[in-house]
Amino acid sequence: MKLLVCISKTPDTTAKIAFTNGDTEFNEEGVQFIMNPYDEWYALVRALELKEAAGGSVTIINVGTSANDAVIRKGLAIGADDAVRIDADPKSSYFVAKQIAAYAADKEFDVVLTGKETIDFNGSEVGGMIAEALDMPFISYATHLEMDGNVAKITRDIEGGAEVAEVSTPFTLSASKGLAEQRIPNMKGIMMSKRKPLNVVAPVEISDPSKVVGYTLPDAKESVKLVDPENMTELVRLLHEEAKVI
Amino acid sequence: MADQYISIRNLKFLLFEHFNLTDINRLENFKDYDQESFEMALAAAKEIGDQHLFPHYQIMDKEKAYFKDGEVITHEKLIEGINAIAEGGWIGAAFPYDDGGQQMPLGLLTACQFIFHSANANISCYPFLTQGAANLIRTFGSDDLKNSYLEKMMSGEWQGTMALTEPQAGSSLSDLTSSATPTDQGHYLIEGQKIYISGGDYKDVDNVVHLLLARIKGAPAGTKGISLFVVPKHRNVNGEYISNDVTTAGIYGKMGQKGYVAAHLMLGEKEDCHGYLVGEPNNGLRYMFQMMNEARIATGLVAAGNTSAAYYAALQYANERPQGRKPGQKGTTDPVLIIEHADVRRMLLYQKAVMEGSIALLLYCSNLGDLEMYGEGAEKARAHQLFELLTPIAKSYPSEAGTHAVSYAMQCLGGAGYTDDFPVEQYYRDIRINSIYEGTTTIHGLDLLGRKVMMHGGTAFKFLIEEIQVTAKKAADHPALASNTSDLIAVAKSLHEVTIHLGKLASTESPEVFLSDATLYLDYFSLLVISWQLLGQAITASAALKNDSSETDQAFYESKLITADYFFEYELPKSRALHKRLISENRITLNLKNHHLQ
Ligand SMILES: Cc1cc2nc3c(=O)[nH]c(=O)nc-3n(C[C@H](O)[C@H](O)[C@H](O)COP(=O)(O)OP(=O)(O)OC[C@H]3O[C@@H](n4cnc5c(N)ncnc54)[C@H](O)[C@@H]3O)c2cc1C
Repeated sequence: MKLLVCISKTPDTTAKIAFTNGDTEFNEEGVQFIMNPYDEWYALVRALELKEAAGGSVTIINVGTSANDAVIRKGLAIGADDAVRIDADPKSSYFVAKQIAAYAADKEFDVVLTGKETIDFNGSEVGGMIAEALDMPFISYATHLEMDGNVAKITRDIEGGAEVAEVSTPFTLSASKGLAEQRIPNMKGIMMSKRKPLNVVAPVEISDPSKVVGYTLPDAKESVKLVDPENMTELVRLLHEEAKVI
Repeated sequence: MADQYISIRNLKFLLFEHFNLTDINRLENFKDYDQESFEMALAAAKEIGDQHLFPHYQIMDKEKAYFKDGEVITHEKLIEGINAIAEGGWIGAAFPYDDGGQQMPLGLLTACQFIFHSANANISCYPFLTQGAANLIRTFGSDDLKNSYLEKMMSGEWQGTMALTEPQAGSSLSDLTSSATPTDQGHYLIEGQKIYISGGDYKDVDNVVHLLLARIKGAPAGTKGISLFVVPKHRNVNGEYISNDVTTAGIYGKMGQKGYVAAHLMLGEKEDCHGYLVGEPNNGLRYMFQMMNEARIATGLVAAGNTSAAYYAALQYANERPQGRKPGQKGTTDPVLIIEHADVRRMLLYQKAVMEGSIALLLYCSNLGDLEMYGEGAEKARAHQLFELLTPIAKSYPSEAGTHAVSYAMQCLGGAGYTDDFPVEQYYRDIRINSIYEGTTTIHGLDLLGRKVMMHGGTAFKFLIEEIQVTAKKAADHPALASNTSDLIAVAKSLHEVTIHLGKLASTESPEVFLSDATLYLDYFSLLVISWQLLGQAITASAALKNDSSETDQAFYESKLITADYFFEYELPKSRALHKRLISENRITLNLKNHHLQ
């Protein structure tokens, strides 16, 4: 089975978030990046499990600059066979999806996997757009996947429950928590990762119809008020008058 | 539970900015290790620490290991943590590629193990023991032994131990009596008992492989008659594993490390305990020194890890707890956070200095280990001697000063520090053993003064003084460090004088007089070595401050200068009292009679 896993980078959860360029761009200065957990823990690991069960290959793909190579190497260390980086600034979901689809168009992947979203912009858009561009069925929020030949039985999260769908290859899915269990790269994988191919390819020309107008940060959290445990009357007053919850 | 147990920023500073340990890839053995591999290894170790070790630290103490119906039951999270470390390939990480390892430099491995030990040494010590035991088989064992044991040990399925101590032979291994009787089938029959054997038995592992010291029947007395054996709990008979007559009499109830078992083992009660000789007969102690030296560095590392975790717990508390006012402030003003109080800062600085001095020394020693093993010519020989000289300090200083540092961590928390609502009381109990096992501090003092500084006509000591002079020379570019540097040189000179003075006592008075205060000599030596390590870091930080750096980096580098300054002002002057005592002719401890201590 030929599997393609789309991976993106996202700021470490401890990163300080700020914007530049008239609040239209995320300020990456001094930010530590990690691989998007939904891509790493669920999409990539399930792809590796499928390959381990049925043979084949796992390719990881990223749209980004060479600053992303460390994140890509981690994917190789976890077990992907090779990697592709489309050498361009990932401006929008549309741009990323179009680039990946252009690369994958003639490669005959059986399954394309993405995370259900990146934990920075939380768009949940790339998977669906790739599927559309490649004219494949798309199953989102997959929590369980079993293959029987070229037919996949996929459980996906829906409001208040789960839905089970069947689809034949080729298809695209987006991975939710539960699809697989995280793997931490082992030392052998880390050392091997440098010997695996990371192919850098040029982007294709795309006119992007969308544009970011601005970002804003959420309001600052109010400071905590400490109430003496002896003073229950004060606690009740605060809950009633200030928090207005009772 | 505290949020942080380690500073990765500090580790990266030491690895990449200060010691430049990636430079080790100039040696053929380490050519695959570039900065990226270092970073990936550190990140992988941190993920294991965060997910499989640190969250279970307190629960493994509260639900401690116990012995029931002949079985040792450990916390369920133990085997999960061991598996995470084993599956990560960490047990054999430093072994050659041909032996299934990754040829990882010890400098990097030590940094990663520091992460594990800081996160939870009650788990990480087990795979460390397996690593040392497997390395003994790998280095000195026959092909047969290697084929039978290495794979299962490196995968973590089998636990390894070092089985030395007996009821009558603790510090003095020359008195051990466990016996080995040759048979005509190639194996030996082992008889005796071993006490306090760490990782010696637990139910969740398939087999336990003891690297055990015993005396072959008829062998000479003393250390020259000791041989090394592989003694498994279960032995292979035609593909089936049967009991090898190694019985666990129980595990010890201990002050700390309650998740890390120490077992009492009975060997050959049914005269059916098979032992397999490693290497040549009567060379066992020499072989075992390989594992003992690794374990000494590891013990220092475990202590430094405990100190690190306790420090971050204390620091977090000091930043959150309002209490009291500063001298001169009115009682009606709001209380300040305790981190504002000068004496709390002093205690925090002590912990920070001990931890950062210790881990720097341990990384420095590990790098010497790489150079002594894979370097060439003069560099190799020099590294070997320096490594030997510094091992007693790398083991003892983090253990002794770390215990004091964790006590200060507890003090920073006040009453809360003594309760089990916070992890610091556990760190305090856990760290204490490090001054006892792998040779007590006394034994290391004797080793340092009686052997290490005197060996090869004192060349190791001379090399160390040269290294200190190199650091002093670098400091010359940083005027702010001038006073600390001249203090360092002065103390190095005084220590040298004391060493010559004590050396003479061996012949003018007696060996007993010469060595009577060897532990104080070790303290003196340690103050010099840790000051040197901290000054070196201050130089690197001072140079970095001359470049543009972010606000966070600037604060980090400044903290290095302050930590060194603290140590030179508060700790190094203690060497004067030690100096005075070491040249005194008043032989109090030798002259008193036992009844004076009644
Ligand atoms: C929790 C735990 C785990 C352990 N794990 C292991 C293990 O895995 N494998 C193993 O083989 N052993 C292990 N040990 C044993 C440990 O190494 C010994 O306890 C240690 O070496 C001290 O020996 P001892 O207990 O017999 O003390 P002793 O040797 O009786 O020492 C008692 C005191 O006398 C001092 N003393 C002894 N000899 C001299 C001397 N010549 N000059 C001056 N002072 C001296 C010592 O410094 C100490 O202060 C473990 C011990 C513990 C408590």
